[in-house]
Amino acid sequence: MMEYRWSDLYIGLRHEFDATFSEEQAAAFAMLSGDVNPLHVDKAYAIEAGFPCPVLFGMLTSSLYSRLVGVYLPGKFALLQGIRIDFSSPCYVGDHLHVVGEIEFLSEAYRRLEIKATIRKDDGKLVSKALIKAGFHGN
Amino acid sequence: MDNILEELQPIFRDILDQPNLVLTRASNANNVDDWDSLAHINLVVSIEKHYKIKFALGELQELKDVGDMIDLIKVKLAAK
Repeated sequence: MMEYRWSDLYIGLRHEFDATFSEEQAAAFAMLSGDVNPLHVDKAYAIEAGFPCPVLFGMLTSSLYSRLVGVYLPGKFALLQGIRIDFSSPCYVGDHLHVVGEIEFLSEAYRRLEIKATIRKDDGKLVSKALIKAGFHGN
Repeated sequence: MDNILEELQPIFRDILDQPNLVLTRASNANNVDDWDSLAHINLVVSIEKHYKIKFALGELQELKDVGDMIDLIKVKLAAK
């Protein structure tokens, strides 16, 4: 886990990591969120709707933005303050997802940073993009 | 520069999610609903971006209302 302090940060500071979701994780998200929409949990329904298999929840894949902020950028002392997400294409269990985040704005007064982030598949296809607002907790 | 109050209104309306909010120089966190600490950070950052200026924490702590903020923005813009 990174432990950046405010003075360590600069515009352009960047982190990236890879992730994959399993069927068990998708099922756990359905249980936790209560989102049992068949597009996400019913294979036959998803195929009939034109997808190769159930579509991963957008908010599940977007949980990687939480990991980006809380573990990498800025890491331990982060306090997530807001996030705007746009979804671009569906992804599925087993897809290799590449998460990249880069600081694009710093506001000294209240120590607010803004991160532009993306999640892409192996082939570069954009899954989602996000503008994340984060601050710091503690000293 | 004289239209700062008018320019701030849509920023406040958007961030506080109050499409009918009428901002005055006397508006402050005590008389505007949902102007809490996190909303305040969002307002300050949006104003910094809109005017391409930077505030120091000490300057912001002196502000009592929107009128004070407008006066500070004018000072910042004049110094650019």
